[in-house]
Amino acid sequence: MSVGLRGWSHLLLMVACLVPLAANAHGDDGHMEMAPASAGPSLGASAAFSSDGTLWVVTASGGHVLLRRSADFGKTFGVPVEVNAKHQNIDSFGENKPNVAIGQRGQIYVTWVEKLPEKWASYVWFSRSTNGGKTFDAPLIVHRDHAWLTHSFDALKVNGKGQPVVAWIDARDHVASMKQYGMKGPHAYKGLAMYYAWSADGGKSFVPGEKVMDHSCECCRLALAREPNGVVAAFFRGVYDDNVRDHAFSMLPTDGGTPLPERSTFNEWQVAACPEQGPGLAISADGVRHVVWYEGKGGPHIWYGQLDPGHAPQYRLQIGGPGASHADVAVYGQTVWVAWNLVSAAGYALKVRNSTDGGRSFGEARTVAESAVAVYSPQLLVHKGRAWIAWNTLSGFRLIPVQRQ
Amino acid sequence: MKRWWVLFALVFATTVCAAGPALRSLGGGQIPELLKTPSHGERIIMFWALSCAYCEPNMKALATVQRAHPQDIELVTVATDDISAHGAAIEKRLSQAGMAGYAAWAYTELTPQRLNFLIDPNWGGETPRTLFILSNGERAAVSGELTRTELDQLWPLPMSQVDAVAKGHVVD
Repeated sequence: MSVGLRGWSHLLLMVACLVPLAANAHGDDGHMEMAPASAGPSLGASAAFSSDGTLWVVTASGGHVLLRRSADFGKTFGVPVEVNAKHQNIDSFGENKPNVAIGQRGQIYVTWVEKLPEKWASYVWFSRSTNGGKTFDAPLIVHRDHAWLTHSFDALKVNGKGQPVVAWIDARDHVASMKQYGMKGPHAYKGLAMYYAWSADGGKSFVPGEKVMDHSCECCRLALAREPNGVVAAFFRGVYDDNVRDHAFSMLPTDGGTPLPERSTFNEWQVAACPEQGPGLAISADGVRHVVWYEGKGGPHIWYGQLDPGHAPQYRLQIGGPGASHADVAVYGQTVWVAWNLVSAAGYALKVRNSTDGGRSFGEARTVAESAVAVYSPQLLVHKGRAWIAWNTLSGFRLIPVQRQ
Repeated sequence: MKRWWVLFALVFATTVCAAGPALRSLGGGQIPELLKTPSHGERIIMFWALSCAYCEPNMKALATVQRAHPQDIELVTVATDDISAHGAAIEKRLSQAGMAGYAAWAYTELTPQRLNFLIDPNWGGETPRTLFILSNGERAAVSGELTRTELDQLWPLPMSQVDAVAKGHVVD
């Protein structure tokens, strides 16, 4: 009956030790890996124009992806619409962000990442609206593999057939290899893998996903753009040899063809680390693939170039050094725009350079906006030949017009 | 008498379980304190992120080296994730990695670029990032998981080896 002195001290020790664990468990089920990512603010955002010039912006807050529309180029926004009716632990931090794309008949396609209650485990979700963003269909998981492992860093683009194409970073091959060969050693699987899937029925369902490439980087966003023939192409960071973090380019065919990724940057930045800086890709009507990418060999560098898959990019130009991050690129005709964040002790400057000769030469860098508070990666958008930058900041979302110079 | 035991057990339990210092907020104002030159030996500051798979092995390996040289090496971790959004997850991850006993900080900004830049303009934000500060004020920094050879060189760390460890990434 009596617990005894030793028993009491053990009991109290257990109780005292359990308290901090309990205080750390924030999930509904008490064993969530992360505090709900959606509980506080997050800055991950993306935007798209529909053909009539309506701007659509997605962010995540309070467990929901929120879609907002603006009919006056970002001056005012309508009431946010919840894309996912059911609360989810949405990951909209780092290079994870909700994505939005507009279909050929004005459908609004949205993808996002849900964090699962296990370290690094996540699903990529998709939902569509066929009534101009008033309501969304019940969301579906894009990938057939539903194991609790990484399916993250999704990117979304509509191809020339009007099919939404989704690419993501996937850990299934890494996990399978780890079980067989372990984490270290000559057979250890480097990085994760890049997969994609598409919908052939307007977003009602997705075909089973296909692997684009083994050994992708683990936490860098992927860049997608449409080729002149309508096929969506991808530019993304890979892991070559012993942790060389160069980039690959691949088509994402939806006609039965096989993706054939080719190494397309050769900076030889060798590092067993997470750069958390994915590239940008824009393809001109004449098929030139304009890219921007980051590498940290000997210090931070942001590069512009034109892809020549299998070889180093042409017209390479160093766009940024220390303080520069998260560049994007856009093209219209012979005009190429590059935008990036430049940080200093005072805060962030949004910088732009543009070319009027198809990327052979660029004008001086200029500041188009500033922020004293945290900002997200700039996203370049083109509508009717004019460039805009979607820039989500802690003090609010901004759409910034870019003049040609 | 029994009451004294209960009190003793409570104090003991609190001491044992709360062995780690509390997670501290790192804003721009705290950077000079973080980067202060140690009076003796070497301070190793490891920057990491919740999304980084290379970071936990790196911090565990650094902790092993620190425990072998407790008088000479001070080890500090800094999460580049925002403390208000991720504080509980950061503490849990540190605890699971056996790092609860080490001084730990986390960023106070939703995107890390400004603090990264203030700490070291020559760092693009990749993690793990390990910064070494010696008592003579010299510093070196390395991006990426440290190799066994690099770990073996951490102490004693004569200046001739700092460059080798840092692969040329010398900050000052």
